[in-house]
Amino acid sequence: MRVDIRLAATDGWVDTPDGRSHYIFGFVNITGVPENEIFNYRGKAELMAPPLVLQVGDEVYLTLTNVGTPTRPDLDDPHTIHYHGFPNQMAIYDGVPEASVAVPVGRDFVFHYKPLDPGTYMYHCHHEPVEHIQMGMVGPLVVRPRDYDPADPDYKTAYGYGTGTEYDREYFIFLHELDCTIHNLVATVQEPDWTNYKPTYWFINGRSYPDTIASTSACRLRQQPWPALIKAHAGEKVLLRFVNLGFQQHAIELLGAVMKVVGLDAMRPAGLYGEDLFYNKNIIYIAPGQSTDAIFTAPEAEDTYPLTLPLYNRNLIKNTLAGMGPGGMITEVQIFEPGTLPPQTEPNQS
Amino acid sequence: MPTVNLWATDGYISTPDGKSIYIWGFTDQEGGSARLPGPTIIVKQEAPITETVVTVNLTNNLKEPVSLLFPGQENVKANGQPVQPQYENDILVSLTNHALPGETITYTFTAASPGTFLYESGTNPFKQLQMGLYGAIIVRPCDYTPHDSQYKTAYGAGTDTEFNREYLLITGEIDPDFHQAVEYGQPYEAYKPRYWTINGRCAGDTMLPDNVPHLPNQPCSSMIMMEPGEKVLIRYAGAGVENHPLHPHGNHTRLVGLDGRLLRNQNGGGTTDLSYKRFTVLTGAGQTYDQIYTWTGLGYNPVTNPIPTTLPNLRNMAIGHLGWTMWSGSPYLGQKGELPPDVVSYNQAGEYHLMLHSHAEPEITNWGAFPGGMMTMIAVYPSGTLAPHQGMLPTEAY
Repeated sequence: MRVDIRLAATDGWVDTPDGRSHYIFGFVNITGVPENEIFNYRGKAELMAPPLVLQVGDEVYLTLTNVGTPTRPDLDDPHTIHYHGFPNQMAIYDGVPEASVAVPVGRDFVFHYKPLDPGTYMYHCHHEPVEHIQMGMVGPLVVRPRDYDPADPDYKTAYGYGTGTEYDREYFIFLHELDCTIHNLVATVQEPDWTNYKPTYWFINGRSYPDTIASTSACRLRQQPWPALIKAHAGEKVLLRFVNLGFQQHAIELLGAVMKVVGLDAMRPAGLYGEDLFYNKNIIYIAPGQSTDAIFTAPEAEDTYPLTLPLYNRNLIKNTLAGMGPGGMITEVQIFEPGTLPPQTEPNQS
Repeated sequence: MPTVNLWATDGYISTPDGKSIYIWGFTDQEGGSARLPGPTIIVKQEAPITETVVTVNLTNNLKEPVSLLFPGQENVKANGQPVQPQYENDILVSLTNHALPGETITYTFTAASPGTFLYESGTNPFKQLQMGLYGAIIVRPCDYTPHDSQYKTAYGAGTDTEFNREYLLITGEIDPDFHQAVEYGQPYEAYKPRYWTINGRCAGDTMLPDNVPHLPNQPCSSMIMMEPGEKVLIRYAGAGVENHPLHPHGNHTRLVGLDGRLLRNQNGGGTTDLSYKRFTVLTGAGQTYDQIYTWTGLGYNPVTNPIPTTLPNLRNMAIGHLGWTMWSGSPYLGQKGELPPDVVSYNQAGEYHLMLHSHAEPEITNWGAFPGGMMTMIAVYPSGTLAPHQGMLPTEAY
């Protein structure tokens, strides 16, 4: 199927629960927006960047439009899309400015992909990546298997029929950190020393706890539209798609349910001859630039619904807001009595 | 039996931003300067029933005791006796037997497993490893035959580790203030790396060839060069003290060996392959990762299968914002195209350059300035254009 997506690259501001605002660069979805209205999206970058949900066999035409950075009008940085993990990529669609082309302010470029392998990937800008990744030009990218069918439980899978990756609901656990000193320097036209990188805020899906469990519509978070609240019925299989586009390793712990690791870097854990290398974990240890797919079964709770399971970073210093707790990479899994939640029609819907 | 002579001494290395940094390191030339990393020792195992005993004579030309650790090797001896930690007044001074200044010590070990290993100083290692006293050892299987594809393997025929070309990438970190403090004999407590190296060089020097004259003590390139469809054995060796998430663009790597041990279990008479694929490998301190990388491309060519998008006019794309580009000017492998007149292209044959870098991105800077640090390129050359000697490490070197 032909898929047309258009993203704008721009800047914006995000909030943390301690009342502070932070300058970001980022992407915002402008698919279908009339040409004479796209400049209304200047300054409206979102964190995390819009999730891209594709399917094996799709013909994807992703237009990147660089609409500039109104808070930093002096800054005329080009931008790119790097589809991280895309197999057999050629230079022209790989988004590395030193090895092909980038998109200047006021211009468009069309990246083409025909995904061939399912899994959880990520995308980000690769222009001066240390700056543009830290500033927020990062998002998840999911490729569904060719036989994906959400109406048939045998075919609602992460990696295809018969791969043991069936699930009922899926959520992003998209990890990213923020060094507020560096973001302030960038906002005020100063040059940071990136080797002094020392994050002070830690995000899941672009939010810090307790914003992670706030509703989608909270107006203070209009440029952070992705909560990280995980809801499921008892007995359902929940697929967590972990992506780390920070610069630190993270150790995400789930209390009360065991996670079966079914995907690492968009590959099923399987040997050269299909040997089954699945394993179970309480903590997902994940490095920058890695992804992990893990499925847990929501436990029964007899009559204490909703049951809450905490999900947090076992590097506990990352469960803070500029040193004060609790905050950061914490969210909740809420388990409900079967038949009480509407079915999920898109990823991360809670 | 292989015998290696190493001298521990000092010297200087260069960074691309113009710094000269004092190091300690190993050389295989008597009276030579320290090099970073130390000379790569490559040995081939003897026939299976014979032990492959490697002898390393270390002469210490530094002003404090130095030693060698051989992690992952068996039956390690110093001057004929099993190695032991060294104590003075019940305080640990070395993880193994050391050579005092001016002395020579003879180590032997049995290279019991093919694979990639490190050698490194075990004396005051926090200081000495930081200063550059490390290098790599490659052990080849006894049936290794470079001109027979079935026997050109990392772990032996029948282990699914055949390769066409091979590259060794040794990672490290440099805190220049620490190096300066050691040079001037000053105390130093904090540790704060500002440079990140592959094979002792920071990007863009990583992409220069071997043995460039202006980097006499950093002779090893990290540029990976290959042709489409080839199997490239990439050996990561984490020589520093930190972990680095290394991400090659263009494809996953298939990890076939960890710490010089094949990822395969014997299982009830059969074999279970435990190799796995990743697009980012967290290269841990002291650990090694043998991986097979291939790239076949997407099949586009300008005549029968053009790319499905129209590229903008040259002036509507940003090309070579640093003043240079690795791009050919054409989207097609083996083709060249127009580039802006003020941009220098380092592209040779219309090859693709796919970046390989640490995804902990502050590490791809030189003291904060991108591009730099732990970054290199995988250059995919059109079939038949790459010099046959590229990616051909010797069968043995010592």
